[in-house]
Amino acid sequence: MTEVLLRVENLHVSVGDTPIIQGISLEIKRGEIHAVMGRNGAGKSTLANVIMGHPAYEITSGAVHYKGENIAEMEVFERARAGMFLSFQYPAAIPGVQVGTFLRKSVASVRGEAPSPREFRKELNEAMKQLDMDKSFLSRYVNDGFSGGEKKRLEILQMLLLQPDLALLDETDSGLDIDALRIVAEGINAVAENTGCLIITHYQRLLDLVKPNVVHVLIDGKIVQSGGPELAMKLEKEGYDWVDALV
Amino acid sequence: MTSYLDATLPSRSEHLWRYTPWSRVHPGSVDTIPTVDSAVAKSEELEIVNQPFQPLPETDIARIFLNEVLTETILVECDGKEGSIHIHAGGHAVATHLHISCKTTSNLVIHIHGEAEWFGLALTGHAQPNASLSVGIINELSTDSVMVRVDDWYVQRDGRLELATLSMGGHRNKSDIRSTLQGTNSSLKQFIGVHGHGTRHDDHHVEIQHQQPHTDSHLLLNAACDDRSHSIGTGALTIDDVAQHTDASQVFRNLLLSPSSRAEAIPELEVLANEVAAAHGAASAPINKEQLHYLMSRGLSNEEATSMIVEGFLVDSFTGLSSDYVRDAIQTRLTVHLECKLIE
Repeated sequence: MTEVLLRVENLHVSVGDTPIIQGISLEIKRGEIHAVMGRNGAGKSTLANVIMGHPAYEITSGAVHYKGENIAEMEVFERARAGMFLSFQYPAAIPGVQVGTFLRKSVASVRGEAPSPREFRKELNEAMKQLDMDKSFLSRYVNDGFSGGEKKRLEILQMLLLQPDLALLDETDSGLDIDALRIVAEGINAVAENTGCLIITHYQRLLDLVKPNVVHVLIDGKIVQSGGPELAMKLEKEGYDWVDALV
Repeated sequence: MTSYLDATLPSRSEHLWRYTPWSRVHPGSVDTIPTVDSAVAKSEELEIVNQPFQPLPETDIARIFLNEVLTETILVECDGKEGSIHIHAGGHAVATHLHISCKTTSNLVIHIHGEAEWFGLALTGHAQPNASLSVGIINELSTDSVMVRVDDWYVQRDGRLELATLSMGGHRNKSDIRSTLQGTNSSLKQFIGVHGHGTRHDDHHVEIQHQQPHTDSHLLLNAACDDRSHSIGTGALTIDDVAQHTDASQVFRNLLLSPSSRAEAIPELEVLANEVAAAHGAASAPINKEQLHYLMSRGLSNEEATSMIVEGFLVDSFTGLSSDYVRDAIQTRLTVHLECKLIE
């Protein structure tokens, strides 16, 4: 039986006194790709962030289970070490920290031991080649002065190196030109076979390249409809007005 | 030469001594002159020559005191070279005076370490016409040490001086770093990175004087303060009336890592010329939670992520250094220092 990686049960989330997510349930198995679509402010990024354990969000009821365990008490870094990965919509810049140093430390933390320098260099070269990234990236400071596209490539580079079991991709396609989108999609597809993926996106164009098993439509913090890839195509053609009738 | 015992002790209302009174950094009772030995300076790459002591300018009490206790000046021959000078400060009270004169291009690192209870450091130097001098000063004194540092630098026509200070050691430090842009088209870049930990008290007073036109100076001080540490950065930038077309900036940034840490940043400008660009800024902030969350989402614990942010913040102080030699030396010692702190 395929392993259930993520089970979200009737999740309610607030920021301060403002409820953002109001009863979401979903289940992602290894090898599945789920897409979450919805208008701005629907709660999509909140869902990804709360699964990853962002301290700004409070789970008011419901639960998030990862590999069968309730992870409410797990710290963010423990989730990462357990195989969870979030590709951020707006990755933070860390001035003064070189990308190469950051990647090496991150890989060592998640794997529990530092890879040998030679092995790591080989892995890194292969992953960077796959994403058509120049080696000069490694000496730049993390996300500092990066274009939107460069930030997204770095996120996917991290995903390739960290080989997560569960990948949460928050608008990874935003800011990418057509060629960059294709390269990033290839990167996602490279890990998707053995990973559970939750892809948050506004656009069908990414889902043309990364085929989802399930598409969820999120309105006002609730999943109002789930379906196959045809649902994303319908949203692309007709927008969200017809979904309002379902709320 | 003015006798220290005849000199007037500075009042705390003086800008220079407002945050760290002389009595707190004098080696003993302020009305005495204790025995002060010479610190040991060594270099494998550079020639250092011991000479009779060349007195410091008598501009303040610390220099007057050092004039009393210093017995020799170490002349550093560094033209066309790069290398490190290791100063071992051991014993009760030790002091040294290094004089650096550069006619061509030099990159040097002064690494201070040891367990001295008190260490007095005088640095003087000239970047002569057309010279390019980069100097890194790394303070890794023991956590019990008190240090008084006074600098007097002169940059002549078309000369370039880079001064980088990484301050991580000692319990209480007072640094008074003065530079004068004496020649047209001379340039000074000054970078200071401070890591405050425990109850460290680290006071940097930076005076820069532009005496000629078409000169530029840029100061960046980044202080990361943890535990109950206290960092002070005071600037005094003077642009003389003849120093037209000067470009000067002073930026002080503080990263406060604990509720009990403190940081002061006081840039002061005195601009007497009218065609200049002079900017100053100061900012203090706690650690950025989004940076912390980002790094933790990549498997780093809270402590590891904080250490990485601190390292980045301090490394960023030195990004503008053109000397790879000085920058690499500073970054290496900083990484070792922070990794040791992480294990403690």
